[in-house]
Amino acid sequence: MKLALALAVGMGLAVAAAPAMAETKNPGTFVFMWTDDIQSFDPAYIANTPSSYGALNIYSRLLNFNGSKISEFVPSLSTEVPSLENGLIKQGDDGSVSYTFPIRKGVFAHKVGVKGADGKVSWEYYDKLTDAQKATIEPGYGQITPEDVRYSLLRAILQGQSWMSNAITEVITAGKYTDIAKWVETEGKVKTFAEASPETLRKVYDQLSEQIVVDGDNVTLKLPKSFPATLGVIALPFGTSILDKEWVASVGGWDGSGDTWKAHYRPELGANPLFAEENGTGPFMLEEWDRTDRRITLKRFDNYFQGPAKLERVVMRTVPEWTTRRLQLLSGDADFVTAPVEFIDELSKTDGVKVIDGLQKVFSRGIFFAWPLDDNDNPAIGSGKLDGQGIPPDFFADIDVRKGFNYAQNYDALINQVLLGKTVQSRGPTVRGIMGYRADSPVYSYDPAKAEEHFRKAFGGKLWDTGFTFTAYVTEGYPQLTAALSALQMGLSRINPKFKMQIQALPWASVSDKLNNREKPAAPLTVMGWGPDYSDPGGPLGAASYYLSPTGLVGGMVGQGYRDLMAEKFKPLLDEAWASSDPAVREPIYAKLQEMSYDYATTQFLWEDFGYVVTRSNIDGYVDNMILYGAWDFYPVTKANN
Amino acid sequence: MLTYALRRLMMLPIVLFALSLMIFALQMSLSPTQRLAAYAPSPDYLKGGQESIRRMIEQYGLNDPFYIQYGRWIGGVLTGNLGWSETARQPVSTALMSLFPATVELVVLAFIPCLLIAIFLGSRAGIHLNRWPDHLIRIFTILGWSFPVYVFGLLMLLVFYSALDWFPPGRLSQWAQTTVSSGDFVRYTGANTVDALLNGNLAIFWDSLRHLAAPVITLTYVNVASMTRVMRTSMLETLRQDYVRTARAKGLPRRVVELKHARRNALLPVATIAGMELAVMMGGVVITETIFDYAGLGQFAAKTAANLDFPAVLGFGLYFAVVLVLMNLIVDLIYPLLDPRVKTQ
Repeated sequence: MKLALALAVGMGLAVAAAPAMAETKNPGTFVFMWTDDIQSFDPAYIANTPSSYGALNIYSRLLNFNGSKISEFVPSLSTEVPSLENGLIKQGDDGSVSYTFPIRKGVFAHKVGVKGADGKVSWEYYDKLTDAQKATIEPGYGQITPEDVRYSLLRAILQGQSWMSNAITEVITAGKYTDIAKWVETEGKVKTFAEASPETLRKVYDQLSEQIVVDGDNVTLKLPKSFPATLGVIALPFGTSILDKEWVASVGGWDGSGDTWKAHYRPELGANPLFAEENGTGPFMLEEWDRTDRRITLKRFDNYFQGPAKLERVVMRTVPEWTTRRLQLLSGDADFVTAPVEFIDELSKTDGVKVIDGLQKVFSRGIFFAWPLDDNDNPAIGSGKLDGQGIPPDFFADIDVRKGFNYAQNYDALINQVLLGKTVQSRGPTVRGIMGYRADSPVYSYDPAKAEEHFRKAFGGKLWDTGFTFTAYVTEGYPQLTAALSALQMGLSRINPKFKMQIQALPWASVSDKLNNREKPAAPLTVMGWGPDYSDPGGPLGAASYYLSPTGLVGGMVGQGYRDLMAEKFKPLLDEAWASSDPAVREPIYAKLQEMSYDYATTQFLWEDFGYVVTRSNIDGYVDNMILYGAWDFYPVTKANN
Repeated sequence: MLTYALRRLMMLPIVLFALSLMIFALQMSLSPTQRLAAYAPSPDYLKGGQESIRRMIEQYGLNDPFYIQYGRWIGGVLTGNLGWSETARQPVSTALMSLFPATVELVVLAFIPCLLIAIFLGSRAGIHLNRWPDHLIRIFTILGWSFPVYVFGLLMLLVFYSALDWFPPGRLSQWAQTTVSSGDFVRYTGANTVDALLNGNLAIFWDSLRHLAAPVITLTYVNVASMTRVMRTSMLETLRQDYVRTARAKGLPRRVVELKHARRNALLPVATIAGMELAVMMGGVVITETIFDYAGLGQFAAKTAANLDFPAVLGFGLYFAVVLVLMNLIVDLIYPLLDPRVKTQ
C-alpha cells in the first residue's frame, strides 16, 4: 500500500513538472519582467528611460534611429530624413536654419473618430472597424495630419514638464531658452511663470507657433540658428511622439489654442488626461495598465502603417525580487528578465536561456569633486580645516589634489574584478560612439608615485604632512559604485596613512540633498553616473555639455568653483564647437575638450557602463540602441514556439 | 457593550489625527530636496538641472510652511482625498482599496488554518506535556519560529514552483489574467477566488488557488508557531487550575474536561495574540508578498516608505491605525464570549 502511494506521488510529481519544460508558455505573448515602472503614457510628460518604453512602442515619431546607429535616422511619419543634400535642411543668410518634414499620408491612430447617425463623433478602435465604418471616419479624427505634428510639438514645449520635452524648446530656440517657463519669464520680465500675464503667454505662443509651421503636406521647424542635435532630439521617444489633436482635446487635453495653454502647463501626473490613456500610431496599443498589479499589457495594432508586429501581446510586469524573476525565466513564465550582473555568466550557461552580453552604453560613471563646499555645520568636511581632522571648503580647488586622487584609483582592478572585464575605462565626458571620443586620448592609471608627487605639491606642501579626513558619498544599492570608493580609499591610505576618506552610503534623496538646490554643495566627493540624451556631444543634453558646461548638469551640482573653471577654460571651446555644423570642425574641438578634462582632472572618470539582455532562447529581434539606453522596441521582436 | 464599542470607536479620530501629525512632522524634518525624491526618485530626474529642481519644489509646494502643507493634506483627507501616490501612480485611496482585497484574500486564507492548527497543536501539546506529541509539536513550532520567512518562502518556490510547477508566483497565470482583464469577467470584490466563484469560472478559481497556495502555506507555517506556543502555555496553566481538578474529581470524561472546560479558558491569551497577528498581517506581509510577487499592501507600504512617498505613507499609516484599533476592539468584544467574567467587569 505504502509503495503504491509513493509511486503514485512520484508519478504525480513527474507529470506536474513536465509541462514547464516541454512547451512554450504564452505563445505570441512576450512576458517582460523588470524592476522598473512607467511613470506616465503621456510622451510629453515623461523623461526617463523606463517611461520611454510606452512612447517608443505606442507612438510614432517623425524619424526613427536606424537600428542600433545613434546618429543615423530613417523615415517614420516623415517620409524623408531632412538633409542639406535633399534640400529639406536650409540655411538662411541670417544664420537661421529650417528643417522640413514631409508628412506621410494615410496614417491612422489606434482610435479614430467615427461619425454616428446623430452627427456625434465617437472614438472607435481602428482595428475593429469594417470597411464601411472606415468610410465614416471624420476627416482628421485619428488620421495623422501635418497639423497634428505641429500640435504635438507645440504641446510638448508648452507643457514644460520634462527635460526631454524641454529639449524641443532648446531646439526651436537654438538653445536660447531651456524651457517654456524661462521664455515666458524673460518675455514678460517676471520672476516666476505664475506671474506672467495672459498677453505674455499669448505672445510667447505666437512667437513659438511662427517657428513650427504647416506648409501643405510638410511641417517646417524654423530655428534662429544652427542646433546640430536637432534630428537626434526629433527621433527620441519622448515629447516628439505624435498625437492626434482632436483626440487629445476630446479627452480633456489642450485644444491647441494659444489662449488656453497655461491650464495645461506642468499638469499634475494623475490629472493629466494622457496619463493612462493613449491614441498613438505605433505598433502596439495600451490594452491595460494595472497599477495595483504593476502590469502593463500592450496589444498589437494590426493596422500599423509599417505592417503589424510579430508579437500579439507584450506583458510588462514589475517584479522586484530577483529570485522570483529568475525562477519565472527558467520555467518559461517570463521571456525577459532584468538580472544582476553577477548572474549573467551562470545564466548564459543555462538551457533555454539566452544572454546578449557586452552591449555598449553611453552612460559613464565617475567620482565628482565639488568646491567650494558648504562649511556650515557640514559633517562631511570634519573640522573644515587642513589639520588632518577635516578638509577646507576649497579642498578640491587645488588641481594637485584632484590629480593625486585620480592617480590613487585602481581602475584596472575595478574593471577586471568588479566589472568582470566587461567594459573599458571611461576617457572623459564623451564615450565610445560619441563625437570627440578618441581611443588614444590620455587617461589616468593607478600610479602611487605620481599621486604622491601631486599630493606633496598640494596646498604648498602642507597637505602631505597634515593629511585629511572627509566623507565621500554613494547612493545605497550600488555595490559597484561603493567598490569604486573603496578602491580609492585603499589607494589613498596606501599612499599616505594620514589620508582618510570615509565612505557613507545614503538613500538617493539624501545624496541629492547634499548636491542640489543649495548655494554650496555639502558632499565633497560623490560617485555618480550620467549619460547624454542624444548622440551629439554639444547642446544642453549632450555629453560634453553635461559635464563641462558651467550651466550643465554636473556644474549645477558641484559648486561655483567648478563652474568658474568650466566658464573660463571649457565654455569658449564648447561654444565654438556648437556654432559650427561641420563635423570636421567640431570633432577636434570635442576631442580637445576631452583631453582638457584629463589635464584639469575635472572628474575622476571611472568606466563606461555596459549592457546585457537576458531572455528565453526562443526570443529574437532585440535591437540595442545605446542612445535609447537599451530600451526595447518590441516591433521587431519574435517569440518562436518550441 | 454597544456603549463600550462606540466609546472605543470615538477614540479613532484622535488616534488618526495624532498619528498624521507625527508622520507629517517626521516628513518635515527632511529638506524640500529630500522630499522631492518622491517625485524625482532617481538621478535621471535631475537632468533638467537646478532650475528644474526649483520648479518642481515650487510645483509641489515643498517649501511651504508646515501648517500650510498639513492644512492642504488634511483638507484633502476631509474631502476623501488622501493625495496622490507617485509610487502607485494612482490616488492613495484607490491604491489602498485595490490592494486591500488581495491582502485580505491572502491573510484570511492563511489566518484561519493558522488559528485552527495553533489551537489544535497547542492543546495537544499541553495535554500531552513532555510526551512525544508535545516533543514533536515543540520541534515543529521551534522550526517555524526559527525559519526566516524569506528562506522558507524561497524553499517553497524552489520546490513547488521551480521543481514541480504546482504553485507559481504572482496572483494569476497569464492566460487567466487575460480572461480576468477581458470585459466578460466581472470584478466584484477584487479577490480573485471570490470573483471567480461569482463569475462561475472554476478554471480561474483553481488558478487563483494555485497562486495563493505557496504564500498561504508560508504565512501559516511561520505564524502558527507563535500562536501554538501561546496556546500550549495557556493550556498548561489552565489544566493546573482548581476548577479543572474539580471537574476531573467529579468524574467527568477526560475529553470533556480538557476540551470543554480547559481549552475554552485557555483561548483568552490566544485571542489576544491572534488579534494582534491578524492586524499585523492585514498591514501587509512584506517579505511573503515580495517573494511570491503578490501585489498586496505589504509590498506597497515598503515601496512607498523607501521612495519617501509621503502621501502614501500617511495614507497607509491611517489605514493601519484603523485596522489596529478595530482589531483591538474586536478582540475586546470576543473576550466576553470566551470568559463571561469579563462581561461583568
